[in-house]
Amino acid sequence: MGYFRNIQETVATIFEGMSVTFSHFMRRPYTVQYPDRVPIRIQDTLPFRYRGILEVDLEICTGCLACERACPIDCIVIEAVKDQQTKAMVLNRFDIDIAKCMYCGLCSEPCPTGSIHHTSEFEGADYSLESMLRRFVKAPVVAYKPKKGPETDPDIAPILDRGMAYLNDFASAGGDE
Amino acid sequence: MSLGGYDVEVQRPGGLATEEMTLNMGPQHPSTHGVLRFIVKADGEVMREAIPDVGYLHRSIEKIAEKVGYHGFMPYTDRVDYVAAMPCNQGWAMVSEKLAGIEVPRRAEYCRVIACELNRIASHLLSVGSMGMDIGAYTPFTHALREREYINDLLEDLCGARLTFNYMRIGGVAWDLPPEWVPKAVAFLDRFEPLIDEYNALISYNKIYVERLANVAVITAEEAIDYNLVGPNLRGSGVKFDVRKDLPYSVYPEFEFDVPIGSGEVGTVGDCFDRYMVRINEMKESCRILRQALAGVPEGSVLAKVPRKFKPPAGDAYVRVESARGDMGWYCVSDGSEYPHRVKIRTGSFTATSIIDKVSRGLMLADLIAVVASFDLVAPEIDR
Repeated sequence: MGYFRNIQETVATIFEGMSVTFSHFMRRPYTVQYPDRVPIRIQDTLPFRYRGILEVDLEICTGCLACERACPIDCIVIEAVKDQQTKAMVLNRFDIDIAKCMYCGLCSEPCPTGSIHHTSEFEGADYSLESMLRRFVKAPVVAYKPKKGPETDPDIAPILDRGMAYLNDFASAGGDE
Repeated sequence: MSLGGYDVEVQRPGGLATEEMTLNMGPQHPSTHGVLRFIVKADGEVMREAIPDVGYLHRSIEKIAEKVGYHGFMPYTDRVDYVAAMPCNQGWAMVSEKLAGIEVPRRAEYCRVIACELNRIASHLLSVGSMGMDIGAYTPFTHALREREYINDLLEDLCGARLTFNYMRIGGVAWDLPPEWVPKAVAFLDRFEPLIDEYNALISYNKIYVERLANVAVITAEEAIDYNLVGPNLRGSGVKFDVRKDLPYSVYPEFEFDVPIGSGEVGTVGDCFDRYMVRINEMKESCRILRQALAGVPEGSVLAKVPRKFKPPAGDAYVRVESARGDMGWYCVSDGSEYPHRVKIRTGSFTATSIIDKVSRGLMLADLIAVVASFDLVAPEIDR
């Protein structure tokens, strides 16, 4: 009789599985068609902490090289020299090789102003490797110098606010809330 | 051992010439879960031996540690086992903390446990899903991956990445739990737990599925210990050993959970089905741990004060964490400088590879897929 019991068990368990599958005809689909049929851009739905392609706000970059030192794969190259006359740091070069970057986020953690930060942009495909090298400094710029009090320049204040909000999301060492 | 130089045995039953065939399975094979190659000596459909040939995914991660320093190595630990990266993060953080004698805040330990257990569920889902797919049932895979996607979303909220988390830091974690995250995680558990039973109805007790897995590649408890199997593979053979329970670390002693072991419910203890079922049951246990952890997250800071130039005193340390693939050992020798002198990672997949040759003898060729899937091998973890 084992033969018929085998058949019966097989048919019964397959129908049990199939009933689960059929019940999914009645359920709402979980998937969306990317990229054409999404109601809003995927980039806008991503969480605040999402680590996408790196971006630098040069307006608030202090040229401290903390990010360059923190990067484990040296994909950030910064050239900052001190101007002998004005005693200010001048950024000659700020390159990030997006092709090398592994999006670990170690660079944005030590940044004092939140200048270097991850965006929610993730579509970085391109036709050539050279264009993956993001050059942020077009012409030499004077590095940002943090002020004692709150930032007064109306052009820079919102950028700094964004930067500090980004930084505040990181856990602070030993700090008690 | 020369891998290509097998003697060809010629047998002539009834004057008909037959010979054993040496086949390559992999390195590029959809069911080997990465780049893993087997040299199979087959007599018709029956395997005489199947020798795993590892090393295709070697990235010298241990050597990289000597180059990038303690803080910089954390993202690399994600790549040791990309399916369950959180326990690897934790292993590296713990071994560095042990070297330097750093106390981790309690809230950080809770964050770590929550992240690790979510990641364990995700890893086991991928394992049981691809197990179905490997032996020919495609639907369970989509079901498992659907749930895994929700975990990925949760972890993405938590640490900004879906696979290579880089969530933990030496002395704690990089980000606190986001606001409104705990209720979201509890809502996920509420939805997920009944789905395990649905999953069982869908495939686990399907007759064809059971026939493919029950009594295949039976590993006795002694063999499992002899061959150094760890994690669900060891527990599938009926050995009740879990690092979280027997050598407790972090805050695991505070939680109540069971260690599921193989019971041989449809075949023999230690067969492929038992290893599969241990993973299903472990997901339930992980849900239990998560519920307790999410309900009791203490207040406080999540990161201890650790200098950016991290220089642990000279010495060595070894820690064991229970990764999704079992007991994962992290050994680090420090010479007092900014860079580790030597790092060694002991992974469960590597030892599981060594027993494949033994259990595959005499099995059908198609069963090798079931065996490999039941061990839940992750190729990057074998080679590092």
